[in-house]
This record gives sequence, C-alpha cells and structure tokens, in this order.
Amino acid sequence: MGKTEFMSKLAGLLDFMSEEDRRDILYDYEEHFRAGAESGKTEEEIAESLGDPRLIANQYKLNYIVRQPEPNTYSGSTMKSIIAALGLGFFNLVVMTGPFFGILGTLIGLFAAGIGIAISGVAAILSIVLLPNVIYIPDSAMKILRDINPGVYLFSGIGLICLGLLFIIGISYLFKYFFKGTIAYLNWNMNIIKK
Amino acid sequence: MNIQFKKGVLELCVLSMLMKKNCYGYELVNEISKNIMIAEGTIYPLLKRLKDEGYFTTYLEESQEGPPRKYYKLTELGRETKGELENEWSKFVEGVNRIVKEDTENGKN
Repeated sequence: MGKTEFMSKLAGLLDFMSEEDRRDILYDYEEHFRAGAESGKTEEEIAESLGDPRLIANQYKLNYIVRQPEPNTYSGSTMKSIIAALGLGFFNLVVMTGPFFGILGTLIGLFAAGIGIAISGVAAILSIVLLPNVIYIPDSAMKILRDINPGVYLFSGIGLICLGLLFIIGISYLFKYFFKGTIAYLNWNMNIIKK
Repeated sequence: MNIQFKKGVLELCVLSMLMKKNCYGYELVNEISKNIMIAEGTIYPLLKRLKDEGYFTTYLEESQEGPPRKYYKLTELGRETKGELENEWSKFVEGVNRIVKEDTENGKN
C-alpha cells in the first residue's frame, strides 16, 4: 500500500467527523509520510509500520465517542426530576390555574360578544325587509321606526357586521398567543423537570 | 499486551518525551516505535486525545524542506499529569517486581 492508497482509505473511514477535524488529522499523516521519506524510507514501508487504517480510524472513533456528551438529557438523578415535577405541579395548581381559566374565560366571552355584534348587524339589515311585514311591532313604536330612513339600517348593519368580524379576528389572534404561551410555559416546565 | 494497559503507558511515554523538549509528531512516533511494539499510526489518535484533554498544545514551525511541521508542547496540566503517571508507574513496577521475584525465589526452593 502506497501513500495515496493509505491516505484515501483513512480519509474515507474518518467521514464521521467534521471536515476541520479530518483535515487536521490527515495533515498529521501527510507530515509523517514526508518525514519518513526524508529519513530514507519508502512509502510502502511507512504505510506498513503505520498499520491498518481501520485500526487507526477506530482509535479516533473511540476518542470521538468518549468526548460526546451523553445523549440522555436526564442528567440529574431521577429523584431530583420527581421533586421538580411535584414542586412545579403544586405551583401550577395554586398559582397558574386561576389566571389560566380567567384569561380563557375572558377570551371566550369576548369571542361570543363579537359573534353577537355581527348577528345584530345582520338583524339590522334583515329588518329593512322584515320589519313591516313579518315582525309584529306595536303601533307607537312603529311610527318612530318608519320615520328612520332604511339606509340607516343598511349602513349601521354593515358597520355592526364589520365590527363583529374585527372582534372575532382580534380575539382569534389573542387565542393563538394564549395557546402558544401556554405551550411555551409547559415546555419550560418540562425542561426544568428534565434538569 | 493488553491494549488499555499499553495506552496508559504510552501516555506516560509521550508526556515524558515532551518534558525534555518540544517534538513534532514523527519524532514522537519514531522514538516510541523504536522501543515499544505498536502500530505507529495509532499514536496519532493518542496525541489528538491528549491535546483535546489539554495536556499539550500544538504549534506549526517551518522545516527546511516542505510545509511547516506540527510541534507538541506540554501545558502545566501535562507536567502535573506526567508526575502523577510516573508515580503510579513506579509503584506498579515495584509491586509487579516484588511478586515476580518472590515467585522465582520460591521456585528455587
């Protein structure tokens, strides 16, 4: 085995490490071949005494594995995790439950209000047609209503629908942030427990 | 010889050589393989590991021919570790010798 063959074999076997590390290592062997040649050895002799590239690559692999941090993130004791989970559980129950349902309730209420406003807008528009014919209204009230221009119903209806829709859209965003926040908080909890 | 055992001894050899002077890779490998049976190529992984663990640093120095060479230089941690390893080694050899000599003396009787 000559230098070229040795180097390409070794390079192929070191593909598990970063390009930088690999170049650094291959430089060592390049240098070794050069220095060996200077002291009068042939490429074959040098490669022979270096040994099997597989054996060499395995040594690097061993170094590499030992240096990697443990894949397991539960680095602390299990007991510590349990205590953290219990502590956070209690904290969540006492301190976080109230605000959670408070905010959730408020959002649901506002959402319903948005729907209500939009429906009232629809009703206002429909009333232009329905008012005189379908719905029974006492004469005294009817007199006032007849005096109002139908345009008022139409435009105030459109306005109410738009307002309701804006309300719904706005609350939807708030819902989204609220759930994102909740999930982020839960993840943060999980991380604390894992530590 | 047991590979783990050999590795430990090789660490001591490398650190001892670097105690005397800074060396480049080929010098270290050549000197070790002259004295100990080993595939020369497996010394470089050892050098890299010891460097990663902070026992020595490397620097490049121009050579007369060709590209610069990588030299190895002991750190303070490397010097301390060399002392500890040498102690352990001496105690170990003493212990082994005591047992082996006793054994041969018993054998004579």
